Amino acid sequence: MKKSDILIIGNGISGLFAACIAADMGKKVQILSYGAGTLTIGGGIIDVLGYDDQGKFIADPLKGMDGISANHPYAKTGAQTAKKALEAFLKITEEEGYPYLGSPDKNLWLPTAVGNFKPTCLVPRTMDTEALFKADNILVVGFDTMKDFYADMATKNLRERLSKNKNVEEFIVKLNFEYGRDLRDISAMDVARWLETDEGHRSFVDQVKGHVKANTAIVLPPVLGLEPNYKVLDSLKKELSCALIEVSSLPPAVTGTRLNKMLHSCAKKRGVQIIEKARVVGSEIIDGKCQAVITEGFDRQRKFYAEQFILATGGVYGGGIIAKIGAMSEPIFNIDIEVPKVQTDWSYKQLFADKKQIFAQYGVSVDENLTPVAADGSKPASNVKVVGRSLAGYDFCYEKSGNGVALITAYKAAAAFCGEA
Amino acid sequence: MLKTTVVVIGGGATGVGILRDLSMRGVDAILVERDDLGYWTSSRFHGLLHSGGRYAVKDKEAAKECIQENTILRKIGRHCVEATESIFVRAPEDSEEFEQEWVKSCAECGISAVPISMDEAFKLEPNLSRKLLSAYRCPGAAVDGFRLLWQTVASANKYGGKAMTYKEVIGIETENGTVVGVKIRDRWTGAEEKISCDFVISASGSFAGEVAHLAGLSVNVKPSKGTLIAFNHRICNRVVHRLHKSSDADIFVPHGSITILGTSSIDSAPDDTSTETAEVMAMMEIGKITFENIYDYRILRVFAGTRPLYSADPNAKGRSASRGFVALDHAHDGINHFMSVCGGKFTTYRLMAEKVCDIVCEQLGVNAKCHTAEENLVDDPSPDLISRAKAVFPSYGAELASSRLGNEKLERVIKRIETQPEMKELVCECENVTLAEIEEVASEPTSHTVSDLRRRTRLGMGTCQGTFCAYRSVGAVNKENMPWAKDSVYLFKEFLETRWKGIRPVLWGNMLRDIELTRAIYDAALNLSGVEEIK
Amino acid sequence: MAINKQHAIDPDKCTACTICITACPVTAATRKFRGPKMTGPALTRLRKLVSDDDPMLDYCSNCKTCDLVCPSGVPISTLNMIAKNEYYKTHPRKSKADDMLAHSEKMGKLITALPLGSTFANLGMSVGKSFGVMGAMGIAQDAKMPSYASESFISKFKKIKQTPYPRKVVFFSGCYINYNQPEVGTDLVKVYQKNKIEVAIDENFVCCGSPMVSGGYIDDARVNASKNTALLKSWVDRGYDIVTACTSCGLMLKQEYQELFDFEGMAEYAAHMYDSIEYLAKLHDDGQFDTDFANDNTKYIYHAPCHLKVQAIGRPSMELLPMIPGIDIEEADVGCCGISGSYGFKADKHEIAMKVGSKLFNRIKNSHAKLGVCECGTCRLQMENGSGVKAIHPLTVLRQAYGL
Repeated sequence: MKKSDILIIGNGISGLFAACIAADMGKKVQILSYGAGTLTIGGGIIDVLGYDDQGKFIADPLKGMDGISANHPYAKTGAQTAKKALEAFLKITEEEGYPYLGSPDKNLWLPTAVGNFKPTCLVPRTMDTEALFKADNILVVGFDTMKDFYADMATKNLRERLSKNKNVEEFIVKLNFEYGRDLRDISAMDVARWLETDEGHRSFVDQVKGHVKANTAIVLPPVLGLEPNYKVLDSLKKELSCALIEVSSLPPAVTGTRLNKMLHSCAKKRGVQIIEKARVVGSEIIDGKCQAVITEGFDRQRKFYAEQFILATGGVYGGGIIAKIGAMSEPIFNIDIEVPKVQTDWSYKQLFADKKQIFAQYGVSVDENLTPVAADGSKPASNVKVVGRSLAGYDFCYEKSGNGVALITAYKAAAAFCGEA
Repeated sequence: MLKTTVVVIGGGATGVGILRDLSMRGVDAILVERDDLGYWTSSRFHGLLHSGGRYAVKDKEAAKECIQENTILRKIGRHCVEATESIFVRAPEDSEEFEQEWVKSCAECGISAVPISMDEAFKLEPNLSRKLLSAYRCPGAAVDGFRLLWQTVASANKYGGKAMTYKEVIGIETENGTVVGVKIRDRWTGAEEKISCDFVISASGSFAGEVAHLAGLSVNVKPSKGTLIAFNHRICNRVVHRLHKSSDADIFVPHGSITILGTSSIDSAPDDTSTETAEVMAMMEIGKITFENIYDYRILRVFAGTRPLYSADPNAKGRSASRGFVALDHAHDGINHFMSVCGGKFTTYRLMAEKVCDIVCEQLGVNAKCHTAEENLVDDPSPDLISRAKAVFPSYGAELASSRLGNEKLERVIKRIETQPEMKELVCECENVTLAEIEEVASEPTSHTVSDLRRRTRLGMGTCQGTFCAYRSVGAVNKENMPWAKDSVYLFKEFLETRWKGIRPVLWGNMLRDIELTRAIYDAALNLSGVEEIK
Repeated sequence: MAINKQHAIDPDKCTACTICITACPVTAATRKFRGPKMTGPALTRLRKLVSDDDPMLDYCSNCKTCDLVCPSGVPISTLNMIAKNEYYKTHPRKSKADDMLAHSEKMGKLITALPLGSTFANLGMSVGKSFGVMGAMGIAQDAKMPSYASESFISKFKKIKQTPYPRKVVFFSGCYINYNQPEVGTDLVKVYQKNKIEVAIDENFVCCGSPMVSGGYIDDARVNASKNTALLKSWVDRGYDIVTACTSCGLMLKQEYQELFDFEGMAEYAAHMYDSIEYLAKLHDDGQFDTDFANDNTKYIYHAPCHLKVQAIGRPSMELLPMIPGIDIEEADVGCCGISGSYGFKADKHEIAMKVGSKLFNRIKNSHAKLGVCECGTCRLQMENGSGVKAIHPLTVLRQAYGL
């Protein structure tokens, strides 16, 4: 079945979300994916817009989109579409039994694994950061042999940042896992699996219970289960009578894994067909319209036909954009991206430059309909839309806008292909 | 006030060599270094322990010294040297007459150069260009600059020698035309202090002019910058030289898990360690003659160091300036008991120290002979210790750790893991560095930043270039409550920005992908640079 | 199209991102395995530098889930297999069963050559089990081993009378179909004949080498690859397409050969290789697939083998089978079954394999399906072993629906 209504290239957050939206509107959708998408590297939280170009905090992301620079993806979508997209996402999380918290018009401050805070917009209930600010007692819970979370660093930094009348304490849960030379280091994923078992659950409650005072919020690494539901969270909350908040952390990302599973499940339920390991190497364009994209593997080339195409292959990291010496391009539709010839002009001297990094903003230019525009102003294919990290004009790290841009542009592209403005 | 006989200024190979030599002769000595040991030239080179082959035609004296010192260092510094051997290969571009002259010269200098067929060469080094014409096996090797420096200091410590890092010399004090002490400032606390002494040796490399200036003198050093490229894996298992008149980018050195290609030669300021993309590209083009698929290999980072070439003639340049070393006795300039040592090669650092110390000891009236060639820098770990290490370190960890750490430190690290098995956790998964090792090194008084830990352990020097181990190492030192580890955000940035410096000129392909991942973690997920406005 | 050999053994594409760790089924099941990133690209760098004992290397099952999720195209599992092969050149093997399981064809040949050999072999296995012989050989005591058929597929095939058609394929049956489940092979011939395809076989084909590669016997696999490559190339030259009905054989012949070896003609014949159901789905795309099905009101649950997923051909069975009137079929979609060829039969891996497969077993049980469907022979065995629900090849479902 190689002909679909809408063919999406890439199964990261933007590809999967676009697929869900389009399939919901009755389209036959196929996804070609090469690799799992970078969703499981990221934290599974929806940053929409945390800072403006000057690094000023934005309290209301939707308002922050007004007057954003013209080449920013949000300038193409507008705040109205952004609101619709994020609401559609919230609805999906609700339907899938893994509802997210937050509202498109309000940024939240989420604690991180360092013990500082980052602005974000929509989070799973395991990151109910409002509860942290309401609590009088903060208990930072670490695990004695787990890699990649240092409770004392988080405690120290949280204490420095939170108001003096909050009591921030640290507690280390003993895992008592078998340990030895020939056993792998313990990751957050291992602990998440442990907390899904009765034994792990019991042990956690028994150890932590005595340290939970009235009005306590527990801050802990992302370990509250690997499945997109709140079974682990809800039962711990009930037994400990306190809030639990997972921090924003580094990969492998338990929270990203959950969101990935949720979106996959949602897409599958809607009949979206996913072809894995399909490396798209080119496209067939006739009279300014894409007819098919071409995959290549160890056997032969294959053509996948569709009416419309959504390019959701990611940026340089995801492999959607290829960076070479003094050159950059989008390989499927063969779009050259203008970059300086001298490599050091791609960046500032400091990596953390206190402004948007230059290279981070490189990507495919699009018109207001997200149709790609080549360097010479021509449009290679009118039935193609570009979404997510492949887009030019934003620095998701600096702005804290990564998954927001992905969801909002994906929504706009899918809805437009389904006849909705 | 500190008191000693000799103050050595500069913690590079020359300085630590002199410190060890003096200490072993029973002369009281303190070494002061403005940065970390090996921060400058002694780590910013290709890590080649010369066989002498490279100098055989042009400078037989230097070639002979190289092979002699090569043999000594393989023995006394065996934990810093990877005895890989080297291959000299001639490309169609290279002169056949030179090859003949080279073979003759090697024989004259006592450097073994065994001709092998190209088939054999390709079997030994499968990635070599098939266009190469002839090949010889020579006794070159790879040497770890950081490790050699620290182990040399460890050896000096046993004889009472002392090295202090992050101490900047701000004054050289004289009385009646003779040195009486130096004034130093601690780079972290700003505290100033005087060390009174009878003799000062400036072994400050490219900064020799600046140090001499403190005493009102001038020393004419021509720093010549060399750029190096580090590749992600061992593309060869032996040092590979081009068999031609020494030139840019003609040496590949397998170095631990990576390969280093060096180098270029450009006149520069002493502290110029910047690299331009154009230099890298020029080197890659030359390197392609030796390894034709060079563009397929992932670059990890690029870096540069300056060679402190001394010239009596202020107009001499680059490779034509002398690479031999000079010991300038400033008595000729009116200051007694003050010497500047310039130039020289890493390979002959011990011999240089011996020659310098002979002069110094004569002036100090010390009769002791040099015996630095006879004693190993650090003791070999006992078989018992090795088997204890094998029982606790994760696979591929024991051998790497024991050569990094030396006997005594290895034992302490093993003990940490034996007491707390979870200390075998890998903080750096690319270079197999355990938490125990990080905590051990972090607790040493010479550690002040995560970059210091990196130079001692290879933390962050592999594939991910610090992306994952930055969080782990900052967390680990915070956990140990190091006095220097108060400001987490500073520690992260210091480490990641130094890694970035080496990636920025080669920001394409996987290097750019890796940096995107770094930013996604430290900027997007951990918000190291955004303002926080919590209620 | 072939991947440059240099790159197959080159760890440079890995950025250490950890995606493979989140997906690896063995990593989830046991901490005895370091995970694909460490065992593969990360340690490949260190193996060039030092040698050491490496007990974790043995735990990679070569299911290739890591390759499937890697955004950088790193041949992680192949790096592991190459490392395993090198490792066992200088280290003793942990399990006595390795050799036997890697060379399953030898065993199959031996048994089917004897009169009543399969009966004795199957009997012997159960007797052996009750006396603990299997355990001593390194085979898991409670693993359900494949049983041997009384007549090989090749022998059965020779008795089939086919109608000649211009569309011709050569069928690489592989050891499992030839010695253990010949009926899958005969189903293929019946279904293909129904679709006006003439099927040929080649008695000179040898084991594809997949179990050898997974077991760390790449040098043995190379010998087989050399033989098969020449034969497959000559069939393609004569205008035949190649089909396989075992996804591991298919993957080995078209992908892993190219990653590991360097024989003339591999890329050429790979361009004409198809999974047996994929081939029918292609007919369907061209409007030539016969949909003359009878009703089938059975409830099925389909499991996609890991080695099918990495072939970038989607789920051809889920395209064709739902076309059968009355059929109720859903995809399990819960990941690896755990068996990974012969991995799950080994005494020290059996528990891991069952743990990996537990999600699938529960999914099958909870689906209340009457039958499981899967292209891979050992996956089917594992599905039956873990869930108690019988599993069949999709070709068998089609053959029944055709009323053949």
